Amino acid sequence: MATVTNWVEHLTASEVAGSVYPYVGTELWWVLAGIIFWLWWTISTATGEAEEQQKLARKKHGANDYKSNIPEW
Amino acid sequence: MDNELTALTTIFTEFYYWMTVVLMFLIHVGFCMYEVGASRYKHHQHTLMKNTLLIPLVTITWFFFGWWIYWAFPTGPGISASIMTESTGLILGGGFGANELANPTNALMAINLNDHIMGVFWAAFLLFSWTAASIVSGAVIERITTFAFGIMAIAIGSVFWTIDAAWGWHFDGWMVRELGYHDAYASGVIHAICGGFALGILAVLGPRIGKFSSSGEPRNIGPRNPWLVCVGLFLIYTGFWGFYAACNIPIFDLGPEYGMEGTTFFTATNIYVTPTTLSGITMNFLLSLAGGLLMGYWVSKGDPFWTYSGGLAGIITSSAGNDLYHPMQALLIAAVGTWCAYKLHYFVERRFKIDDAVGAVAVHGYAGVVGLVICGFVLWGYPSSGYDGYAAINPIGMIVGAVIMFGLLGFLPGWILAKILHSAGKLRIPRDVELAGLDYNIMEQARKDERAVASTNR
Repeated sequence: MATVTNWVEHLTASEVAGSVYPYVGTELWWVLAGIIFWLWWTISTATGEAEEQQKLARKKHGANDYKSNIPEW
Repeated sequence: MDNELTALTTIFTEFYYWMTVVLMFLIHVGFCMYEVGASRYKHHQHTLMKNTLLIPLVTITWFFFGWWIYWAFPTGPGISASIMTESTGLILGGGFGANELANPTNALMAINLNDHIMGVFWAAFLLFSWTAASIVSGAVIERITTFAFGIMAIAIGSVFWTIDAAWGWHFDGWMVRELGYHDAYASGVIHAICGGFALGILAVLGPRIGKFSSSGEPRNIGPRNPWLVCVGLFLIYTGFWGFYAACNIPIFDLGPEYGMEGTTFFTATNIYVTPTTLSGITMNFLLSLAGGLLMGYWVSKGDPFWTYSGGLAGIITSSAGNDLYHPMQALLIAAVGTWCAYKLHYFVERRFKIDDAVGAVAVHGYAGVVGLVICGFVLWGYPSSGYDGYAAINPIGMIVGAVIMFGLLGFLPGWILAKILHSAGKLRIPRDVELAGLDYNIMEQARKDERAVASTNR
């Protein structure tokens, strides 16, 4: 929903409204959506990281094994 | 300048654009580091030189005709009447005519004590042009000839992007007036067009040797130095601050501009001369970056190249509407665009055997297109301009705009030019040179020099 539909009318109003972003009045919902995104990302990446590290740990590589994996492009 | 306030405003504006040029220079430093890091050792020097040479090539052609095109083509020509000349023809004269502002033979295109803005504004746009050519440069590394890339750099940097800027990134552009096209920080006019142009070239150029197995499975090649790639991308972020600032007019009184009698309203504006604030876009820039980085990390499972590229893709996706979005909208839009760019990159690579060496088509092209489409929905109904007679921002206009940017002015010219150069045998380096490495002779000579010096020292 457009907050501004005509710039001339908006800027000549008796009191110019400063907020011009879309859906003024729904800030709480947008912030909640942002928080949900952040929490989802945190949980999802933490789970993925743990799984990956468990897989790696099961292979029991030695401390210097990585040296044979350095690419020479 | 006959009073202190006018002088202060003028010289502030002059210095503001000058600073944007300095900051945007870092974009090119970043691109050079990024490409050298992504290329293999045997191609390093040619890769660096290819990207470096676009600087002088685009600069001189931008002086000769690129800037002129921007001021002459807002009407199409022949599509929509200019609000300045009320004609649909090329804008060649009058107060804002190309002849007066951007004709390289005009006295204004030099040091002129009556004009403090033209040169820095010309330079800010030139740095956009370098960026345009540099976006294409990364995708085609290790197999395009320097000659062919020079032609392509001039085509995208001084011709096609400036046409799209005249159409959709100009207060008098026909796409703004007729379609309600809105692209404040260039999701389409820089990024989508360059992604499309790169894809057009790649479709003809073909993949690097060894990129696909005999059964068509894609393989990863490099990067030689992932950390140089990451620092390069970090520098591109840094330069992007200058890019965002350069897309604004820092101080403008909209009262007389919009014909509002008795009203004074000083503000920063975007390129369409509609109001925004540098403060607000700073928040949106950072939240876009955050959304892209988070999604890039997640979707690529922690790959540093795609995490950094995700940050860039996030900014690019939100850029079309970042003059108006709420910061949380910028965050979420950036995340969506980054996810789409990553998925589309691998889909196109597998399905069409396209070898985009640095993901430029995805990060710039697909993210730019997604950003334009989302902007059409989120800003639906907003005025595209403060002047009378302009269409409001709407989804159809933005989708048509995305097709024009990515397809008509991006992919098509890139594909046609590549076909012409390919048929002339000038597009791709010989297979044996690609295998040996573009720098083979340089490295061989360096090795001889090293041995000669070592034997002298014994």
